[in-house]
Amino acid sequence: MPGPIPNSHISGVFVIVFAILTKISFWNNFYQFSDRLIYMKTKAFRTLKSVLYQVGEQAGFLGLVFKNSVKKGFEWNELAHQCYLIGYKSFPIVTLTGFVLGFVLTLQSEPSMKAFGAESLVPGMVAISAIREICPVIVALICAGKISSGIGAELGSMSVTEQIDAMEVSGASPVQYLVVTRISACILMVPLLTSLADAVALLGGYMGTTIAGGMSFPLYFRKAMSSLAFSDLVPAVIKTIFFGFVIGYVGCFKGYHSNRGTESVGRAANSAVVTASVWIIVIDAIAVQITNALYYN
Amino acid sequence: MNHKVIEIAGLKKTFDGKQILKNINFSVFENENLVLLGRSGEGKSVTIKCIIGLLEQDEGSVKIYGEEVLDMNQSRLKEMRTKTGFLFQGAALYDSMTVRENLAFPLTRVLKIRNRQDVEKRIIEALDAVGLSDAINKMPSDLSGGMRKRIGLARTIIVKPKIILFDEPTTGLDPISSREICDLIMEIKRKYRTSSIIITHDMECARITADRIIVIHEGECIAEGTFEELEKSTDPQIHPFFNWMGDP
Repeated sequence: MPGPIPNSHISGVFVIVFAILTKISFWNNFYQFSDRLIYMKTKAFRTLKSVLYQVGEQAGFLGLVFKNSVKKGFEWNELAHQCYLIGYKSFPIVTLTGFVLGFVLTLQSEPSMKAFGAESLVPGMVAISAIREICPVIVALICAGKISSGIGAELGSMSVTEQIDAMEVSGASPVQYLVVTRISACILMVPLLTSLADAVALLGGYMGTTIAGGMSFPLYFRKAMSSLAFSDLVPAVIKTIFFGFVIGYVGCFKGYHSNRGTESVGRAANSAVVTASVWIIVIDAIAVQITNALYYN
Repeated sequence: MNHKVIEIAGLKKTFDGKQILKNINFSVFENENLVLLGRSGEGKSVTIKCIIGLLEQDEGSVKIYGEEVLDMNQSRLKEMRTKTGFLFQGAALYDSMTVRENLAFPLTRVLKIRNRQDVEKRIIEALDAVGLSDAINKMPSDLSGGMRKRIGLARTIIVKPKIILFDEPTTGLDPISSREICDLIMEIKRKYRTSSIIITHDMECARITADRIIVIHEGECIAEGTFEELEKSTDPQIHPFFNWMGDP
């Protein structure tokens, strides 16, 4: 009968088993890790490819827009029609928003300013904040929601029902007729709508001041205007031109490229609003940095 | 019918890895109506979209009046398109414009006719040709399917094209409207001496309009002949088109 197995043998077996298991576990982990790496690499490639494709598509479309905007036979009548639709039809909502912005801003800031005995600075504060920042951004976001989505849905439905193809096969340029005119109208109308909102915001501010404490209109107007400088107006107007371009361009791009059934029309409209809004915020952030660097540093 | 107006050779086109057109070869002669027959998804619409330059083929040649479509620059392509009309399946009327504006669009934007009286005269002439003079101020949404097709046809012929491509001109119409559209196609051929490619599933339309028929199956032309010749065919791919009601 064999004697008991020596402890050294048992520990030796354990060491071997442990080594095998560790090795298996190591290789398992290694294979899993390499699988994960390959998966991540494939995914990264696909994402990169898709991003590059999107960038290429956008660049191509942008080039087409610029080419068609300098081409002979600019559609002036269609531009006027689009200015009417984009500018005049947005007039009520922009006016109301501008008025409420000025009114609320005044009512909100009046008590705090009063606590410091600085209520006479309220008109200036409202004027600067509305003209420099609040009105351009809020009007642009409203236009992104109203105009960009409208353009996206309109061109999307034209694309799905082959109206854009019909225009192209007739020998006319759909980009010149549909896209250039809409983008141009946005570039012209968004700054005008913002200027309107600025003026109405000051009026709303005056109404707020009247409710909160009272100040004569000439005094309010003088105080508001005296606090404004050239450097407040020009950058604000310039950035609204870019906002207008983005609103028109994004709407047109999304609509023009939606050609996979009626579902894509809704998707184009939705995507136009989201993309244009993001671009507006990004452009605003860049514009603030540039303005600060140019005027205040 | 001697001169070839359209020549297609070895046309191939793939979408998302699926080859739709494998090898399409045919020609259309002057003042000829060629009907393309085939089941849905066989690539008939893709073929005519390659002809007009809306799609680019992967391989093969498409020539109009002997000139390769892919080699045309933008201005040449535009010129070719003014000579080539295209009637879309859903008519593709511009729905934000009235019938008058729809018809005036190619005249003012493409042919650059500035004289209002000339434009108006041609609009009335085209509407008379399709029998819808009283619809001149209507919006496309106010028109029935048949009327939309006819207005679409009026917009196609208003530029006096030499070639017309019809993409399922009678689809979705009642038999009487279908017959009217087919008669119009024949009248246009007689009056303007056009050459046409007509895509249809409507055998009555094919019978009325076709000088010659080509059957497309799985991306290839599998048969060619007159309606009467193909009607007699016993080929299992061709036979069902002509005898789908008669067979048990």
